[in-house]
Amino acid sequence: MIRSRVSRVTKKTGVILITLFGLLTMTFVIGRLMPIDPVLAVIGPDADSSTYQQVFDEMGLGKPIWVQYYYYLQDMLSGDFGRAILTGSPVIDDILRVLPATIELASIAIMVGVGLGVPLGVYAATHRGRLGDHLTRLITLFGYSTPVFWVGMVGLIIFYAWLNWAGAAGRIGFAYDGMFTSYTGFYLVDTLLSGNIEAFVSALRHIALPALILGLNSVSFIGRMTRSFMLEQLSQEYIKTARVKGLSERSVIWKHAFKNIRVQLLTIVALAYGGLLEGAVLIETVFAWPGFGQYLTDSLLMGDMNAVMASVLFIGLVFVFLNLLSDALYKMFDPRTQ
Amino acid sequence: MNICTKCLIGVMLLIMTTVVHSNTPSDQLIIALKMNNILSLDPAASTGNDIAFINANLYDTLIELDPEDPTIILPALARDWEVADDNMSISFSLREDVSFHSGNQLTAEDVVWTFERVLDLNLALATTWKALGFTKENISNLISETGTHEVEIKFPRELDPKLVIYTLATSPSAFIIDKQLVLEHEQDGDLGHQWLTTNSAGSGAFSLEQWIPQDRIIMVKNAQYWGETPSLERIAMRNLKESQTMRLMIERGDIDVAIGMSVPDIRSLEGAEGVDIQTTQRGTLYYVAVSMQNDILANKDVRRAIRGTINYEGINDSIMPYYGVFHQRPVKLGLPATLPEPMYSLSTDEARKLLANAGYENGFTTTIRALNESPFINVAINLQSSLERIGINAEIISGTGNQVYGAMRDRRFDIIVGRGGGGFAPHPDSNLTPLLFNPDNSDSAKLTNFQGWRTGYHNERINELIMQAVSEADSELQNSLYAEVQSIYDEDVGALFPFSQMVNTVAVRQEVEGYLDDPAAMTRLRSVTKH
Repeated sequence: MIRSRVSRVTKKTGVILITLFGLLTMTFVIGRLMPIDPVLAVIGPDADSSTYQQVFDEMGLGKPIWVQYYYYLQDMLSGDFGRAILTGSPVIDDILRVLPATIELASIAIMVGVGLGVPLGVYAATHRGRLGDHLTRLITLFGYSTPVFWVGMVGLIIFYAWLNWAGAAGRIGFAYDGMFTSYTGFYLVDTLLSGNIEAFVSALRHIALPALILGLNSVSFIGRMTRSFMLEQLSQEYIKTARVKGLSERSVIWKHAFKNIRVQLLTIVALAYGGLLEGAVLIETVFAWPGFGQYLTDSLLMGDMNAVMASVLFIGLVFVFLNLLSDALYKMFDPRTQ
Repeated sequence: MNICTKCLIGVMLLIMTTVVHSNTPSDQLIIALKMNNILSLDPAASTGNDIAFINANLYDTLIELDPEDPTIILPALARDWEVADDNMSISFSLREDVSFHSGNQLTAEDVVWTFERVLDLNLALATTWKALGFTKENISNLISETGTHEVEIKFPRELDPKLVIYTLATSPSAFIIDKQLVLEHEQDGDLGHQWLTTNSAGSGAFSLEQWIPQDRIIMVKNAQYWGETPSLERIAMRNLKESQTMRLMIERGDIDVAIGMSVPDIRSLEGAEGVDIQTTQRGTLYYVAVSMQNDILANKDVRRAIRGTINYEGINDSIMPYYGVFHQRPVKLGLPATLPEPMYSLSTDEARKLLANAGYENGFTTTIRALNESPFINVAINLQSSLERIGINAEIISGTGNQVYGAMRDRRFDIIVGRGGGGFAPHPDSNLTPLLFNPDNSDSAKLTNFQGWRTGYHNERINELIMQAVSEADSELQNSLYAEVQSIYDEDVGALFPFSQMVNTVAVRQEVEGYLDDPAAMTRLRSVTKH
């Protein structure tokens, strides 16, 4: 029993390591094939050839690709991910800095997504073919197919420029920058811990709109999936049996049908959350949200491979972790898998 | 209504009703700009106008140019200066009351070390000094302390002293650095480069409080500033890439200054209440350049045909407003040496005849490289359609800065729509050397910093005249030499056709007073006030 468990864990760890190694290798190769010259990004277009050569050598770009990769892996295994060209700081520091912004945004967005998406999906499934169902499907289709940057701009015009309910760009009003202590990197928490209510309200006003827009995008996905899972359950024999037994409709839906889709929903929510953590580049650009998506995009455009490799590895780790988490929760909710 | 719903409504009401700043605080200046190019704050390594702007407020130079009339030289860290009778050196007397932000006294030792460091590190901005003849090897002999607050700069060759003075005032490498502080942070003999990438060690009117790369820069007033103490307590700069967001924010008064907005957004702000649009001429030129490494384009008639196929008026009227103003000479507008415009214009019939003379009556196929952003891509499209009319089929290759200029540096291009040619100093050489000078046209010379070499344009007489003019201190004689360069270039149909001179456009709230965009991008905020 113990031996089989150990072998399962070893096998899983092996698969994860091979996946991450494959991910890194592919990213490295693609990065080197891209027609981007990071040296020019550093020295500008007008420097002379001796400066170019000096920086080129310092970056180790003169060595064969496999040697560069070998050194990279060697450094990485000793915990050194190198410095980013974009920021001049160690890549790990950068990722740790941008991550709270993304986690804060993604967490609120996923709460909106689950909080609205699941009830909407259940409602649509239980009112199949009726007006409510059609409306829900229309709304989720609209949310799913409308570009978020467009919704972002329209949202800014209405809620920022006209109504003045929301903040515009950044995580907090520009005037509050650096006016409170950073304990966690989460502005909503830090402003409260610093006792600066005005700054807290500003942070809340700034996160509300991007989180809501991202959340509504998740609502569409989660809502549609919930509807489809629920429809599948509602057509099962045990539901008919439950109804014949005289159980209330509420009990049939929430205690029987919904209970059985929790496991599938978990996977969907974990995937949606992973997608949000990976970075909502467009929303981060429109709202000048200094998060992970912007960091990765800027690094990519600059050919800043240290930053790109570490970011990709991080994304891989996030998905591996979320998969493991959903596996664990699967087991908790579904006795058959225990 | 359950407790959750009540809480939610409470929070919503709080957000909607709380009185928030719709205007920025009166003692702070909030600036929005794109920070993509701000990679290092080290004056020896910095590239781009945005860093010059930031460092101009964190550091001081020996001398400054008046932003309203850049030919006027103003004292700064140097109280006064004297050019030697033989025009081969300048002596500077430094102020004795200047302290760095660290509290260290600024002395001649810091000044000498700053310039030695630029050439020792050999990073981006060493190029400016190398073009004047300063090298890593000779710099220690040429710049020396002649007293605790006295510095002498000898010239490596005969040079117009004005050129050195202008370079000291406009090059972002000329900011004087706190030697003692920086050396405390030196790692592996890097002269503090790593540390200065994210920190500052200056004596400017503001000190760096916080720099979060690609996010924000916060500066605070230097109360010990040697000049007039700034009235602003704090300057907050924020990275804002989306031009429309910038426009909405400046309209609402949530930012005071917006830099780098797109032209449609600037247009929509014209006449907007509370916002002024400032347009300042910069010395950099927009051009169409052809490669003379390409046999077809090396033909003078073909070049003349292309020069006559650029729709100068149309481009300047419809694409260039807020980006540039009509200009066709390789020397910037407003200098005594600049010849009147040659008034080249679109002449398709003439161009067709020239192509036929050159043996290309059926045209040919070529490529145009351009940045994938306005106005470059728009000009490339316009040029593509004009070229098509004379039978030249040009494919547009658009990309990022290093894809376009990288190809030009490697001499791997046919036609390019670009921008360059320095022009920071109010001196013709600051355009002509980067644009036309090419002392060795061989591939192995790799003079990548000269656009003359990149295009493969080589005219020995032009090289001689540029060298002669640079060493000529007599303004009248010098101007006549520069006039001859322009005439020869015109006759010779060089490889680079300027069509517009850059202007920088900034939106500023009307509450802000004294914001004066600098022609050399060194906008100083010490005199800015808000009401």
